[in-house]
Parts: sequence; C-alpha cells; structure tokens
Amino acid sequence: MGRKALGSALTFVFVLVFNFFLFRIVPKDPIGSLFRGRNVPRETLENLRAAFGLDEPVLTQFLYYVRETLQGNLGISYQSRQPVWNEIVDAIPATVALVGASAIFSALIGTLLGIVAAWRRNTWKDHSITSGTMVFYSMPDFWLGMLLLVAFAVVWPIFPVGGMVDAGSSATGIDLLLDQLHHLFLPALTLTLAYLGEYVLITRSSLLEVMGEDYLIVARAKGLRDKIVRRRHAVPNALLPVVTLTAINFGFVLSGAIAVEAVYSWPGLGKATADAIRGPDLPMLQGLFLLFSAAVIFFNFIADVTYAYLDPRVEE
Amino acid sequence: MRRLLILLAVAVLTASLVPMAVAQEDAVTLRIGLTQDWETLNPTSGFAVSEFEVWNVMYAGLTDLSAEDFSPQPGLAESWEASEDGLVWTYTLREGLLWSDGEPLTADDIAWNINTGRDQEWDNMWSTVVNMDAEALDERTLQITTSVPDPKLPNLGVYILPRHVWEPVATDYDAATQFDPAADVPGSGPFIVTEFNKGQSVVMDANPNYWGWEGGEPPYDRIVYQLFENPDAMVAALQQNQLDAVQGFPASSADALEADPNIEVVAGSQGGFDEIAINGGAAEGQPHPALLDVNVRRAIAHGIDKQAGIEDLWFGLAEPLETISPSADPKWLPEIPEADRFGYDPALANQILDDAGYLDSDGDGVREMPDGTNPIIIRHAVNTDGDLAGSIGDLMTGWMAEIGIGVTLEAYDQDALFGVIVDGTYDTFYWGWVPFVDPDPMLSYFTEAELGNWNDANWFDPAYDALYLEQNQELDETRRIEIVHEMLTIFHDSAVYIPMWLSPDLQAYRTDTFEGWVRQPAEVGPVFFTNSSPSYVQLTPIGAGDPTEPTETTVPGDDGTVTTVEGETPGSTVAAAEGDGDDGGVNWVLIGGIAVVVVGGALLLSRRKSEDERE
Repeated sequence: MGRKALGSALTFVFVLVFNFFLFRIVPKDPIGSLFRGRNVPRETLENLRAAFGLDEPVLTQFLYYVRETLQGNLGISYQSRQPVWNEIVDAIPATVALVGASAIFSALIGTLLGIVAAWRRNTWKDHSITSGTMVFYSMPDFWLGMLLLVAFAVVWPIFPVGGMVDAGSSATGIDLLLDQLHHLFLPALTLTLAYLGEYVLITRSSLLEVMGEDYLIVARAKGLRDKIVRRRHAVPNALLPVVTLTAINFGFVLSGAIAVEAVYSWPGLGKATADAIRGPDLPMLQGLFLLFSAAVIFFNFIADVTYAYLDPRVEE
Repeated sequence: MRRLLILLAVAVLTASLVPMAVAQEDAVTLRIGLTQDWETLNPTSGFAVSEFEVWNVMYAGLTDLSAEDFSPQPGLAESWEASEDGLVWTYTLREGLLWSDGEPLTADDIAWNINTGRDQEWDNMWSTVVNMDAEALDERTLQITTSVPDPKLPNLGVYILPRHVWEPVATDYDAATQFDPAADVPGSGPFIVTEFNKGQSVVMDANPNYWGWEGGEPPYDRIVYQLFENPDAMVAALQQNQLDAVQGFPASSADALEADPNIEVVAGSQGGFDEIAINGGAAEGQPHPALLDVNVRRAIAHGIDKQAGIEDLWFGLAEPLETISPSADPKWLPEIPEADRFGYDPALANQILDDAGYLDSDGDGVREMPDGTNPIIIRHAVNTDGDLAGSIGDLMTGWMAEIGIGVTLEAYDQDALFGVIVDGTYDTFYWGWVPFVDPDPMLSYFTEAELGNWNDANWFDPAYDALYLEQNQELDETRRIEIVHEMLTIFHDSAVYIPMWLSPDLQAYRTDTFEGWVRQPAEVGPVFFTNSSPSYVQLTPIGAGDPTEPTETTVPGDDGTVTTVEGETPGSTVAAAEGDGDDGGVNWVLIGGIAVVVVGGALLLSRRKSEDERE
C-alpha cells in the first residue's frame, strides 16, 4: 500500500516535469502566433511576453512553473486571460456527465453482455453480441458519432444536433435537467457503444476461463441451478479483470472524449483541450494535461488497491 | 438481459420525450450558428471574430460605418467637425443617450475610454488612440486632439465602454484586460449580452434604450448565437430551420445549401486574403540564393495556378487576387496593368528562368544556379494549424515541378512557424491576413520597422517606407488612395509576396424567417460578422403581426388509426424560435408510440427467452 502510494507520487512528479518540457521541445512564440493580424504594437507584445514570463530562460520559467503549480496556481490562460484553474473547473461537469455516464453504462451493459456471451458461447447470442460490439469498438468514435448524429438529429430529428442545452432557453430546475439529458443522449450513446466492446471481450474471456475450473463442476454436481452457479460461483471470480478495466477507464473519464465532444459541440474538457492546442495556450495545456495525468494515476492507484482487496493472492 | 432492456427502454423514452417538457417561449429570436468559440467578452483584450461580432452589436460607435462603403455616419455622435489643420475634432452627441441600464451616456464616457485605453495600453485600443487626447467640453460635446494628422478620423474604431462599470474595475492594464464581463454589463448598441455560456452560446436581448430603432421599437427580441464544433451539424440545423443564419460553413456544403430554395448563400469578402510568401532575405536566416533574384520570384509567381487552387480548395467560391488587400474596402486595391500581372503561365516562367541562366545542367528535372551548382530546391513551410496549408503544400510541389524547381515540405505548427519566419529559416510559406477598414495597419507590416515582428515577407524597400509615412498623415483621401496604390504596386512588383485569393466568409441565411440582410460593403461583403455588422438593426421577422393558421398534419398511428396533430407553418419562426425543431410537437406522439411498441415487443421476446433459460 505504502509502496504503491509512493510509486504514484513519483509518477506524478515525473508528469509534472515532463508536462512542462513537452510543450517546449520546439521553440515557439505563442504571443506572436496569438496576436498575428491584430493591430498590436511591438511594445505591447514585449509587455505580454514579459507578463507571461516568456522572455525568461526556459530553466527560470520551469522553476516558476514548479513553484506556482505546487501552490495550486496553474497560471493565466493566454486566450481568455482568466485563471486556468477556473477555466478547467467550468468545463469539468460537462465532461464528467458525458464520459462518466458512458463509463458506467458501458461497464454495466458490457459486463452483462459479456456474461451472456460466455455462458451461451458459440450460440447465435454469443456471436451477435461479440461481433456487434466489436463493430462499434473498432469504429472511430467520431465517425460513429457522426452516423448517429445524421440518423437521429438530421434524418429523423428526435435529438438536438449539438450543445448541452437549447441555446437561449430559460428553462430552470427539472426542465433544464431534462433538456440536458435530451442533449446528453446521443453523445453518451456514442461513447457507450464505443466502450462496450472491451468490457464484453474481457468479461467473456475471463468467465470462459473460470468455467473450466473444477469448483464449477462441483457446484453443478451439488444440483445447483444453472443461474445460481453462474451468479454465485462463476461471475464473482471472473470479475477481477473487469474491475481493473473499469478503474482504469474511470481514470480517463476526464480526458477521454475529445473527438466525440467535438462532433456534438459538447462544452467539456475535450473541447477545451482542442481549443488550447489551437491557440496554443500553454498554461491551459499544462493545466489540462496535469489534471488528466493526475486522474489516471489516481485511478490506477485505486485499481491496485481494490484488486488487492478483492484478490488476497496479490496482497503484497 | 431483460433488466438491461427495461433500462434501455426507460432511458430512450425519458430522453426522447424531453422536448415536450420544455416550455416554448414567445420571444422573437434570431438564431445564428457559428463555429468559433468566445474566449472572453472583454473588449479591451479579446481577439476572436466571434467576440468582435458580439461587441459590434453591443456597443454603438462614436460614428457608425455605412453598410455601403464604410463611410462615417452618425452614431452616438450626430455631427462632427474638424479644425483647419485636422488636429482637433469636435463631436456633438445625440440628445438623451442612455446606456441599457438607464444611466446617461455622455461625452465624459467617451473621453474616459480614449484616455484610459491610451494610458493603460489596452491591447485593442492603444495603437488607435495613442496620439489622441480627449476632453468632454460638456455632456454632449466631445473634443479629440491628435498630436499628428490622423486620416482615419472621424471614425474612431474603438468600442465605447460604460465608464460607471469599468472605472472601478480598470485600475491598471492587468485588471482591465483580465476583467470578465460575462453578462449584465450595460451597452449602447441594439442588443445586450444577457447570457454567456462559454463553449455553447451567447444570448443578447434587445436594448430598449437604443436610439436607432426604426419606429422606436425593436422588431425582434433576441439574438441567440449557438456554437457548433461540428460545422456539418450546423449546416443540418440551418436546413431544418433550427437556425436562421450560419457563419463559416464548410465550402463543401455550398452546393447542398444552394439547392435549398429557402436558403441564400453568401461568399462575402472583408478583405481577408491568403498569400504564398517568399523569404525576402532581410532576416538572419537566408533563403535559397536563387530567391534573391527578382526574376526567379517572378517566375515562381507565374508558376502558381491560383484558379486551380480556388476550384480545388474553395469550390470556386473565392476571388483571385493580384496585390495584397489592405482593407475591407476594395477601393484601396490598385489596378495592376495586364502586362505586369503574374498570371498563370508555366511556359513564360520557364522562359524567364532559362533567360536568367538557371538551367537544369544535369538533367535531373531540377534547375541549378547559373554556375551549375546548388540545385533550386526550396523549403516550403506548412502551417499545420491552417485548414488549407497541407493541400497548398502539395499543390506547390506540383506547380514548382512544372518549372524545374524542387520543393521540400517542412511542417510547423502555427507558433513554431512564427518563430521560423522571424529567424528566416525557410524559403516559402502559405498563410493569410485579415485587414481592418483603415489600410494603415496592413501597410505597416511590410516596413523596415516591422522586421522581426509582423513583417513576414522579410523584405523592405525605402521607397515603400517613405510612402508609408506619407499616407499615414495624409488627410486628403483621394491623394491617400493614390499613395497606397503606389505602395501596393511596388510590393507587387517585388514578387516576394504572392497574394492568392480573397478568402471569403461563407455564410448562409434562411429567406423564410427574417428579411433585410445587408452586405457590408455593398455587393461584395458578408451579411454579418463584418466590421460593424449593420444587418442586425435592419432585420425584421417574416410574418410578424400576421400569424398564419397552424396547419393540420395527419400521421398514421402505429395501431393503424390516423392521428391529427397540430403542426407549424413554414416561416413561423416566431413561435418555433425556442424549440428544438420546427416540427417539435408532431413527431413526438409518433415516436412515443413507436418506442412503446418496440420496447413492448422486445420485452415480450426477452421474457420468452429467459423462460427458456430456466429449464
């Protein structure tokens, strides 16, 4: 436990350092690029470069960056001139709602489908579940998103073409929530379908492995009904890898939907990342990547801990 | 499996029935789709086109720009006069001007903006007002004194912010530029921001205190700008009457939009243009030595097929360009004599290169320097953040191969490219500019003083610089236009900067919902997202005050019966404005029915299956 925590902390320190230099491998002039074509005199540009610390040597900039980041200050966005932290916090709920809902639905539905596929292996059920989910899994998610968008927002327009709420709607309370759910449906469906495949495959293969074990024969020999054997004896032992996969996927909840957010104009962190890259808005990029990495590291740590708890054999 | 299906059924039903619960509002709304987000609504520091559009609507100018040709028109000021020497301008404001919150708008507000923007060096203000000093002589009289003659006056070209809100905030540069006026800051224009959801939408409501309403009443209540990250979805929304107008649709959608009888497509120019720039050699890093010879540069210009690029990349919607375009107003563009133009003519290009001694002495298809060494292979920098830059790189390779010049493509993202240009470590690149109304800023970029900064030609000419200083203070417009034409001709003849085309703003609007769209400037400009966007005040909803009877639509029910439901007539945006689709109510009954049948069937099936499983 302690060693795992230390490992996670070290990874985080590595990310902190790597994060800074990653965006500075190529010498760049973000201020020149951002302000090109605006009637901004050279003096103002120099002032801005100084204000953002870009006229200092890289090493000095790095020390500032470490000092400020450790104090929880991620800097000021070049583009919006607002603190990066505020910009990120504003975009978190949209992404958590979208990717979180999809992560939960795909884990639940995928696991259930995987169990059915394994239990009824080599039947039409198995084949249709495995091949069906594989089709979605192998499609690029933005393409799947476009297909669903064209089908259910253009050809048969029962869902909105994008955004998180009706623009200009003054709905509040329960109406607002319903409106948001209506907008959430297609992007969440896209991501759920896209994630299903891995859960189905992992659950299926893991359950198939368990099904060959002696204790299942014993359970059957005791005269237990098929359903009980499955629910009580087989599935719990097969779920270990699924738990790990779920935890790891939750680490990507914050960062996992750049393409789908773009297709559905969903105002989350994925969109913020794409905008920041376009800038390029270095403080915003650093902040986002730091957050993404921290989430992954944290959930990997949780996965490690849960795994050890569920399976005493991997206890340190 | 069964529980799963129930879960899915509930989810689909809840989600699809939602619009029935959303209250329909009666506000007459102009719905606009765009693809560029707003980073900030702070007019001192923001720079996105989407932001300028909001400010154009929100803040009235001291003077207005005419839709026709940007000539000065009464705005907040109803009249103005200049002193003999052109250094002192006195404006008389309209009577009884109010901010949208009811506070009086006086000469003092304007003077405060000019002086504070100058002293605190606000990004969007400073260079415009740096030589000015403003004073409120009384509530309605404003005097602006400039230290040098300023040909752009009486147009001031900065947004006038409400002093009573900004003065407590704008204590210094940082405070002013980092202020976040999200919503509910008063304005003086026709519509005021009432809601700003970054990444999603901006909502602006009509300003009852605006002085410019025809008949004193706004003809519609609200503008909603909706952001689309996905331009194809935006086009679909326009086609389905979920939007009234769109800005920046993909050129590939033009045919589909033009085919719709209720949609008008506009490819309007605000003077923005793209160019292929050749390294002029004034930076530390040097181009291939052949490029320092004007003959080689002219041959390259003759080797570039602009029309093919327009067909390939713009679907024919752009206009080819001969000199750089310094202003949104086409009057500043000189007419280059036919004989001096760099028309597409690879044979002529080859001839020029042959005559100048650049021959392919080793027969490998690439010419060498006249001494037979150093093959002419140029480094073309591709801006990986530019939409067309990659394709241009490929086209450039083909065009140059025709005239015996090799090309290696080097990829840079935008800010890396900026550094490469300053260092001069490239031979050619493709990029673009968007000018202001006044030509001065664009002309300044190619002076010696801007080397290492905005001068991305890495070229200068003392004759050009001298003319630049002259036009900068020339108050006689006819004379100033002559000077500018002369400057642009010098720049053109140097062939370091090969303008490709005026890059159009692709816009489309519905003709069955609002009418009164005006182009700025007349005939060639876009209908909105222009320098002052005059359309908004001119628009009126079609069918306002003449509500047509709702039509009845019959839909066969899933049980074989025929259901009669109320639909909406085309053109009744008024009521449909807030809805998700123009046929909001119709499909829901149908869909609800279908969903129930499908889900019911699925449940029955799965029940039968799970009974099988129990054996």
